[in-house]
Order: sequence, then structure tokens, then C-alpha cells
Amino acid sequence: MSVDVAWWVSRAVLAYGLVGLLFAVLFVSLGVRRVDPLAAEGTLGFRLAILPGCALLWPLMARRWLSGQRHPPQERSAHRAAAAAQHVDDGA
Amino acid sequence: MAHSYRAVGWNRTKKVYDRTLVLGVLLFLALFVGATATTNPDMSAEIMLMRAFGTGAFVLLHVVLVIGPLCRLDRRWLPLLYNRRHLGVAMFVLGLLHAVLAVVVYHAFGDVDPLTSILSANARIDSLSQFPFQPLGLAAFGILLLMAATSHDFWLANLTPPVWKALHMLVYVAYGLLVMHVALGALQAETSAVLAGLTGAGLLLVTLLHVIAALREAPADVPHAAAGDRVSVPHGVAADQSADDCWVAVCPVDSIPEGRAHITCLAGERVAVFRWDGRVAAVSNACQHQNGPLGEGRVIDGCITCPWHGYQYLPASGRSPPPFDERVPTFAVRVEDGHVLIDPRPRPPGTELEPAIIGDAVGAGS
Repeated sequence: MSVDVAWWVSRAVLAYGLVGLLFAVLFVSLGVRRVDPLAAEGTLGFRLAILPGCALLWPLMARRWLSGQRHPPQERSAHRAAAAAQHVDDGA
Repeated sequence: MAHSYRAVGWNRTKKVYDRTLVLGVLLFLALFVGATATTNPDMSAEIMLMRAFGTGAFVLLHVVLVIGPLCRLDRRWLPLLYNRRHLGVAMFVLGLLHAVLAVVVYHAFGDVDPLTSILSANARIDSLSQFPFQPLGLAAFGILLLMAATSHDFWLANLTPPVWKALHMLVYVAYGLLVMHVALGALQAETSAVLAGLTGAGLLLVTLLHVIAALREAPADVPHAAAGDRVSVPHGVAADQSADDCWVAVCPVDSIPEGRAHITCLAGERVAVFRWDGRVAAVSNACQHQNGPLGEGRVIDGCITCPWHGYQYLPASGRSPPPFDERVPTFAVRVEDGHVLIDPRPRPPGTELEPAIIGDAVGAGS
């Protein structure tokens, strides 16, 4: 990789990381309790433990926070999908 | 899980595990540095430490990778799997120390910033000895960082176990990158064949164990009807069945050891058929916590207990006992003519179904 391209790539990585870090601090302080009820009384250690992940996956968590989702998503699997479909067919 | 998140849910087992891990890592580093200082006294301290951390991380990565297949081949390895995430984080910390020292030694004092320096160094992809091996290590480091950063249960719940597992399967990509990082980096400067031999042996061990474990598990993933097993409507009750009401004979009830499960494949996934206290019940095989194999666990205190982290479910309902609220799909079960019959339609997670009674002439249906 040429030095010019490497410079732009490193700047892009740095910008993503800095935005992620700022978002992560805000999110673990204020947002995490809104997207997962079990995080409402999460300890300081828990908030520090998830901070790096929030910085890396900030677009995902920002979208979830802004969309107002109050609970983690439901797991998708063949059995759970078939059970849900069966439940609907039965009119339950 | 019905309690608030903490940084680590400590218990005695985890403390013993982590103390053993830290002692093992420190012992390895001390031995490595001692042996290197003896055989190569001219090597600088920072390079010696950089190699010690890198080698320690690479060895731990092998341990992390072989635990899975070893547990599938022999249950006695399961205690190692219990806290595998801490092994992974320890491996990442060693890799981080290796990376920091590599940046300080080779990339911190040039004309460009360290990241640009790593990405643009050694552009000779047509040369083995000058191949850009450092970007390979950087890419592996990025994957291991993502895995370590998402190792908390919060991420399991918020990414969902299948997505979390898929993300953490990237460890195999990281391993491939690191094998190339070592082969095209450190090994190019080595005159001895010992390190190359050890690297090759490690790769062979990881590959062989995964292949053997996969071959051993393959029969459980064959869909039942396609495998030629009998799909039946039990005699005597056939007239009462609706058109879409079929039962699949999965195994003789005597083939299931007391308190254990038979694993079969129905409706596109594995199903765990448990026998305990003269009864039989079936649940989806994937634990809601980390999609661990419930069918490889046991019934303890009347609860199906996941072999990975001890999450428990009541066999009849697939629900964790209070105050926990995990739920897995359940299946209707009958026992007739000494065979276990299962309705292959999964019921919604946590649906209570009457267990089949072994020896009941009519059989307990749904």
C-alpha cells in the first residue's frame, strides 16, 4: 500500500475510532439503560467493560438508541421461526 | 438472565480458573525470556519481551481453538470451556502488549504516524522474506479486538447468540492471518527449524481436532426423514391424527442414558431428547445464553443443565426456573413400543408440554 493511501486509511480509522469513543462515553452513561432493561442498574465495571465494544459498534448501537428500542432483539433460529409461524397459523 | 449486568459474574470456579490462567501465562513468559536470554544474550530487552508476548498470545490462541473440539470428543475437557472468554481476553491482552512493543520498536519514530507506517511498510508481496507481514498481524489484531470488546454477556443479548457466534467465528480468520504473520515474519529470520516445526504442528493439531470432531458430530445433523428413519403415525391413534400431524421415531428409549439426552435433527436444527426419572421430554438443543449444546448436558436437580455455563431449563417447559427467564422451544413427545416419537413442529419457547412416561401403554402425548 502506498504511503498516500495508507495515510488516508489511517485517518479514516482514527476518525471512526474517535467518533466511536465519544459516542461510547455518552451511550454507557445515558443510552444503555434505554435499550436494555438489565443495564439500567449495571455497575460501573459493566459500563467500562462494554465501552470498547460500543466504540467499535457505535453505528449499530446509535441506530438502536435513536429508534427507541427498549429491549434487545429476539434471537432468530429455525426452531424459533417455525414455532412463531405455527403460533400465527393457529390464530394464537 | 434476570439480574443487572456486572463487569464479571465472579464465582469460585471462575476465580480458580483465572488464577491458574494468570500463573500459567506468567510462568510461560518467564521461561521464554529466560530461555531466550540464555540462547541469544545479544537480543535487546524490548525485542525479547515483544517476542515473548507474541508467542504467548499465539500459544493461547491455539489453546482457545482446540478447547471446542476437545470438549466435543471428551467431556472431561468441559471445565476448560467454562471460562473460555477469559482465555480469549488474556490472549488479546498479550497480543496488545506485543503490538505496542512492535510499534514502539519499529514504527514510532519515523516520518509518518505508526498506523500509516505499518500499512505502507514492506510493499514486496512477490518476496517471501520481504512480504508485508505486519499488516497481516494488524488485521488479526483488529479481529481479536472486536472479539474481546464484545465478550460481555451484554453483547450476547444485544447482538443475539447466533450473530454473536458468527462474529466470534472470525477467530479462525484471525488464526489464519496470524499463521501467515508468523510464517512470513518471525520465521523468515529464523535459522533453526524448531519454530517452523512447532508452528506447523500447531496448525496440524487445530485442523485435525476440528475435522475429527466434525466427522463425529455429522450424523446428528442429518435430517431424520432423509436419513431413512421411520416417520410414523402410531398405530391405534392414527385415525385421530390430522393431516399434518405426524410423529418421527428418533431412537429407542433405552438408548438414552438416565439424566442424559439423545441429539437428533428436526425442523432444521438439533433437538435434545432427555430421559430422566422415568420420563422423556424434548427441547431445542441451543441454549439461549450462548447457544451451547443442551443435549450434551445433564439433568441436574430436575433441570436440563447446559454443559458450557450451567444455564438451566425445566425439561417440560423449556423455561429457566425463577427468577431467571430464559426460554427454549419445546417438542411434543410420545413413547410407544420402546421408541421415542417426536412431533417435529417446535412449540414457542417456554411452552409447557406433558413429558412422555416410559412404560405407559398408551403414551403421554401433547
